[in-house]
Amino acid sequence: MIVCIAVVGHQNNPLYIQSFTEADDALKLHHIVHCSLDVVDERVNNPKKSGPLLNETFLGLLYPTENYKVYGYLTNTKVKFILVTTDLDVKDADVRNFFRRFHAAYVDAVSNPFHVPGKKITSRTFAERVSTIVKAFGLSSAG
Amino acid sequence: MVSSYCNRFYADKPDLAARRIEAIGYQVGHQLSERYTMERPRFSDHLEAIKFICKDFWSEVFKKQIDNLKTNHRGTFVLQDNRFRWLSRMSTDPSLETGQEGDNKATEAMSMHLYFPCGIIRGALSNLGIPCAVSADISSLPAFYVILLGFLKLPCANVKTVIHLNHFGNMDYDLYMDLFDRMLL
Repeated sequence: MIVCIAVVGHQNNPLYIQSFTEADDALKLHHIVHCSLDVVDERVNNPKKSGPLLNETFLGLLYPTENYKVYGYLTNTKVKFILVTTDLDVKDADVRNFFRRFHAAYVDAVSNPFHVPGKKITSRTFAERVSTIVKAFGLSSAG
Repeated sequence: MVSSYCNRFYADKPDLAARRIEAIGYQVGHQLSERYTMERPRFSDHLEAIKFICKDFWSEVFKKQIDNLKTNHRGTFVLQDNRFRWLSRMSTDPSLETGQEGDNKATEAMSMHLYFPCGIIRGALSNLGIPCAVSADISSLPAFYVILLGFLKLPCANVKTVIHLNHFGNMDYDLYMDLFDRMLL
């Protein structure tokens, strides 16, 4: 199950962050997302370590914690997508597919002429679309 | 769109109209670059981003690729488009008498139409992490267009982009670089 989704701008400014848990652990999840930004920077600045993933938008598993796995995705415009999930056996292909759909949703959201670049995404349509994608991910990884 | 801004909203202030049109182009380029780079691997350096602008972005926006790309390897890139679609079918006001004055009017009208593509390119480049400034220059011969996009790296890692549009297709490249250098001083 996906517990948290975040979009972070090119200056590490949060553009959209949404957790999908019942419990009141938003702060903890935000902390995890925050920590993952350093890992993203490290991956991008030391391309040797990332090896075959060189220059791919999908950054793969950033780091596993006790209960969560954190995946990252970096667009050409230096916008980062962070995914925190509780599933411990996730297929890379599923995550890739998820990020692709998420990126499409993001592009549609920022193409809105009323969206100010660099500001938080407040579109309700985007929020609905994201939660649909998150639910679909839960189904595909469970099945 | 360009004519409504030039003739209605800011009829007496061409500078303001130009800036407004450029800003609209900037926003469009900003959003288009996000969309067109979606399925691509990340760019490793500026040259790759420029190549993307020349090939994919140009053909998406202007329906053809750039004809020529030159660089001086110091951060200056020159993009050349011999038949710029958006201006190849421009017509001028027939009521104007032909001659020097008519030519000047046509040049002025055409240069207003250049601010929008300039803004698009600036928006796309700055969204790809290359901050730049774009300016345009045009001559009155509508048959043959050259777009030159210079792109200078300043000491403070700022990047400046200059677009020139004129009909001197065979003009010396060095002469242009000289011009750029002088503009910076």
